[in-house]
Amino acid sequence: MKTGIKNFIGAAALSACSFGSPAFAQTKDCVVLKASAEVEQEVVNAKGEKSTTLAPVNKVVPGDTVVWTITANNVCTKPSDNVTINNPVPEHMAYVANSAMGAGSDITYSVDGKTFGTTDQLTVSENGATRKARADEYKHIRWVFKNSLQPGASAFARFRAVLN
Amino acid sequence: MQSLRFMAVAGAIALALGTGANDAHARGVVAGTSINNTATVDYTVGSVTSTVSSNQSSVLVAEILDVEVTVQTATVAVTPGATQKMLSYRVTNIGNGPEAFLLVINDAIAGDQFDPVASATAIYLDSDASGAFNSGDAPYVAGSNDPLLSPDGFTTVFVFNDIPATVVDNNIGRSNLTATARTGSGAAGTVFAGQGEAGTDAVVGTSTATSVDQGEYKVEGIAITANKTQTVVDQYSGARPIPGARINYSIAVNATGSGTATAAVFSDNIPAGTTYLPGTLSLNGTALSDGSDTDAGAFEATSPPRVRVQLGDLLATSGTKTITFAVTINNQ
Repeated sequence: MKTGIKNFIGAAALSACSFGSPAFAQTKDCVVLKASAEVEQEVVNAKGEKSTTLAPVNKVVPGDTVVWTITANNVCTKPSDNVTINNPVPEHMAYVANSAMGAGSDITYSVDGKTFGTTDQLTVSENGATRKARADEYKHIRWVFKNSLQPGASAFARFRAVLN
Repeated sequence: MQSLRFMAVAGAIALALGTGANDAHARGVVAGTSINNTATVDYTVGSVTSTVSSNQSSVLVAEILDVEVTVQTATVAVTPGATQKMLSYRVTNIGNGPEAFLLVINDAIAGDQFDPVASATAIYLDSDASGAFNSGDAPYVAGSNDPLLSPDGFTTVFVFNDIPATVVDNNIGRSNLTATARTGSGAAGTVFAGQGEAGTDAVVGTSTATSVDQGEYKVEGIAITANKTQTVVDQYSGARPIPGARINYSIAVNATGSGTATAAVFSDNIPAGTTYLPGTLSLNGTALSDGSDTDAGAFEATSPPRVRVQLGDLLATSGTKTITFAVTINNQ
């Protein structure tokens, strides 16, 4: 039957194609980013020695300090290069000076979200004069990791902010 | 009408007024607010650059319970047996969530000479928010109309006391007003789980969620009266109040009652439209120099200008103090 042969040819033609070509493939995200909030708690051991640990936040009141931690995890089989984490300082919070940390990264800040610089570079205009920006005026933090993130590895960024 | 003032400067220092700019301010973000943080990461795999967002990490703002009470009235002069003498206080919510406050008076304060007695209706709320007591203001009934204040909000509270008949001059009686957050109070950091705004926790702040301030009454039996008369003499030997005419003022000051008005000062503004005539100030017939010097009187170029005469301590037995001065009517 004519119809049957046509179908047969059609099916053969179908199987010759491959749907896995790179031009149309969906790549999954190689870096999974997680953000979490904690507070510092003071603990005293049996000897009376004090130390601090991080504990989950249940509630905050104005004046409290929150420790924000961002973790970037490479879930692919190839390295991720040029890894940069950006975190806007949450609304109603003020960045705590010198609290940003991230091993293997260069950290810069921004007041306006466009210009990033170190603490010595950032300025603001006030009453027509220019002065150094204060930590509580930083609105964005950026961590530029110097080395590639290897498959399965994680990079960490952390900072503290006080609730207004 | 010309203004006429005398001042009895009491020996005791009056309480500092709590009026003017409100120093208290609500601390921070409103309870129930969600504080959200989302980060992003840029990275390159081979030649492909991607940007990925994190989850949104959130914390919820709990409610702080904090209050401040400040007395608004300076020491109130009273006479023995007087009734319904008013003190006013400002109650401010310095927490970060809406809160109702319980109000309590305490008249049994140690260290004073008498206890004021709460009047039949002792506390009124400033229902019309005018800051002044008037007929529209409602009596306070604890538990029924506890003032509900938003963060940074305040209300004025009026307290009425009666003065015992047995007090004597210069006796001081003190009265406290306490405001306490209805949700709870106690040591700073005490948590009332789930009782904050929007179901958050309520946490007692550094005020311990209760605040008290003190008002004061002072018995002053002395009353001072001043009677002012004037005569007009114009340039043409008539009595017409025309430009250039002179007005001679004479004020008789008398003290009645018990006690002492300490360091009384007579002060009278030069009326608008007139000019003080130099060298016309006198006390009981003795001329006083215009300048501020060692004698009792002076003309002061204040705004408006005025004459001031120190009368010293006045008692009922001091006799009449007569002050005279003159002005000329200005050209219009």
